[in-house]
Amino acid sequence: MTKQFRPVVGLAATAASIALLAGCSGGAAPASPASVDPDAPVTITVTGKPSDDQKDQLKVFNDRIVAFEKKHPNITVKGSDKNWDPQTFNAMLAGGTLPDLYAVYFTDSKAIAKNKQAADITDALKKSGVSETLNPSTLELAQDDAGRVYGIPFSAYGLGLVYNRALFTAAGLDPDKPPTTWEQVREDAKIITEKTGVPGFGTMTQTGTGGWMVTAATYSFGGQMEAADGKPVFADEGKTAEFLKLLHDMRFEDKSIGDNVLYDQAGIGQALASKQVGMFIGSPSSYQDAVVTNKMNKDDFGMGPMPQSGGNGTLTGGGVFMMSPKTTAAQQQAIITYVKEIYLSAKFDQAAAVDAAKSNAGQNLPVGLPELSVLTTDQSDKVHGWIKDYINVPEANFATYADSLKSLQLMIEPPQKAQDLYAMLSPVLQSVLTDPGTDIDGKLAEVSTTFTSKLNR
Amino acid sequence: MTTRRRARIPFQKRATRMITAPTVDVTPTTEPSRPPAPSRSRPRARIRRGGGAALVFALPAIIVFAYFSWGPIIRGSVMAFQKTNFAVSEWVGWVNITYVLSDPLLPTAIGNTFLFVVLGMLIGFPVPLFLAVFMAELRRGRRWFNLLSYLPVVVPPVVAIMLWKTFYAPSAGGAFNTVLGWFGIPSIGWLDSTTWAMPAMVLEATWAGAGATVIIYIAAMTSVRVELYEAAELDGAGILRKICHVTLPQLRGLLLVMILLQLIGTIQVFAEPFLFTGGGPGNSTMTVLLMVYNYAFVSQDFGAAAALSVLLALFLGLLSAVYVWVTKKWSTD
Repeated sequence: MTKQFRPVVGLAATAASIALLAGCSGGAAPASPASVDPDAPVTITVTGKPSDDQKDQLKVFNDRIVAFEKKHPNITVKGSDKNWDPQTFNAMLAGGTLPDLYAVYFTDSKAIAKNKQAADITDALKKSGVSETLNPSTLELAQDDAGRVYGIPFSAYGLGLVYNRALFTAAGLDPDKPPTTWEQVREDAKIITEKTGVPGFGTMTQTGTGGWMVTAATYSFGGQMEAADGKPVFADEGKTAEFLKLLHDMRFEDKSIGDNVLYDQAGIGQALASKQVGMFIGSPSSYQDAVVTNKMNKDDFGMGPMPQSGGNGTLTGGGVFMMSPKTTAAQQQAIITYVKEIYLSAKFDQAAAVDAAKSNAGQNLPVGLPELSVLTTDQSDKVHGWIKDYINVPEANFATYADSLKSLQLMIEPPQKAQDLYAMLSPVLQSVLTDPGTDIDGKLAEVSTTFTSKLNR
Repeated sequence: MTTRRRARIPFQKRATRMITAPTVDVTPTTEPSRPPAPSRSRPRARIRRGGGAALVFALPAIIVFAYFSWGPIIRGSVMAFQKTNFAVSEWVGWVNITYVLSDPLLPTAIGNTFLFVVLGMLIGFPVPLFLAVFMAELRRGRRWFNLLSYLPVVVPPVVAIMLWKTFYAPSAGGAFNTVLGWFGIPSIGWLDSTTWAMPAMVLEATWAGAGATVIIYIAAMTSVRVELYEAAELDGAGILRKICHVTLPQLRGLLLVMILLQLIGTIQVFAEPFLFTGGGPGNSTMTVLLMVYNYAFVSQDFGAAAALSVLLALFLGLLSAVYVWVTKKWSTD
């Protein structure tokens, strides 16, 4: 369940750490919707509160809220360490314990909007002026078919090739020139395996992560997973099969993929840190897994572009803030103010950005990881200039990756039931890596049929 | 046949007795002034004897049971016929049932669950029995063996599984593969192999669960009458024959219950595949309960999850009934 669980934890943590960091400078209070008295007292509960054992971070979070409340005396903010979690979401929603503000993945926001499990904030967002600042292509992920908006995207990533630079050097490869095509990945993986004995390539496969990887790779081969209506196309286009065939050959012909075929996100980060795998496809958050959690030497961490084979695209995902359908108009307005000042302002406001970076660096959390912008105008270069004194990640090691985000087409995750599709594709990927005789086309066709019946549910 | 009789007291009956009339248990049986109540006593008579107070005392337990145990069972059965997100529910009839029955993954999951049950029976059932017999025969240090065999039960399941996961590392450096290497046996993929993943889980489950069963067997064995062993010894029986002709027959009733409990437990296997492999590699450890979980928490399809749960519960009920009926002959005098 890594993609389902761990990233959810990660998501809450991201929300938490961003919240810690953002400055209280913020913009002016948003224009109020006509029907709502902007000065009437209102109470909101927000996700992102660090747990009690994280004393320092909890203090920063609480201080942030105190400052926010001081600036907006009519708003009372209550922090919550609860967040969207597929296991408890429906129960929390029905039981009334879901925080007014919660965060979900790009893969889930559309379904939540469709099920009306989040408030329609189209008008409130428009009146606050925030909707104009949001990038329409990511905002679309929080919209239903009629174009109503149910959420605010607040962070986004693009996948790339994560690799251990020390292993590259040991194998006689140039760690500053990671492979950019799948063909090169295969060659380099083979060299790493031959020269160092460490499997040159590995991939997440467990629970949903396998399908996530298959999807990203399909994009890089120039394929699609679903048509716009959700109808699966991956089995017919042949691009997914091409990728799986490549992995099959790497595993059984080159032997550059090792025996461990059940990695999840935490597991593969640990494997990279302990030199059990040379390369894998991941997001910048792998830095957290490998370097922060597993104490990998940060100079050994490298990230390059998503390898391509005729696709010129990479999968992009991220987090969306949504509001409980039970929130009132006044609460929604207060929450939008909160999100804007605590989360979004660090992306365009100098004081907020510096404040955020400073306190992040103080917590030994990574500062300066490349990320995609959720705003209309990408100010990341400007922000980079403001915070450069606090950057603690080896930026040069991300250079080729960061460049690739500007040139590659950013492709969103499958629009319909992505997590279902991921969970169904993972076993196929696992089979390819364990059974040399796997009937790849047959298995993909099977998944396609089963998935279609799920779509009709 | 103290052992057998004790073992045969149905748990539920005992529990009911305790709930409805807790005073019975504290009344010394030798006291003639309070004869056992006739089973068809009138309600008023029961209240006069303190039954009313008993009911009041039992009420909190009944409420808790009703709310947290029986309530969810009923709600789950209802949900099997609904499309629901907990807030809005609509009746869909048999759709959920037909949907889960037509899921192409179901036969695989049933097959895997069956494999787990069979392996559990082959490995998990005899091991604690042998251990218990072995420990009962010990003259010294039995207490230490008790402790050692029970220790794994104390380790929280998740911790145990995470621990074993590292033992099962598929590389040659993994703990188990290192041991195999000492004997010149090539490395095994363990959890990363479609062939070995299931046996590997059974092994861990046996290790984790054996201790509790061993304690039960040992307790039962201590109540086997010594005269039976003495008589056997007089007839010239050795240890093996004593075990085969005295111990095992005396434990028969308990063994039958334990087999049923193990059947029910292993058919509901979840934690191992969930934490070890997530159902992989290639669905080779996808079990029925893991499917239920995936319906509910990956697909958010609570109707399908409830439907499959209800089917499983019905199957277990049926299995238990058949089992009890079939083994009735062997368990009674």
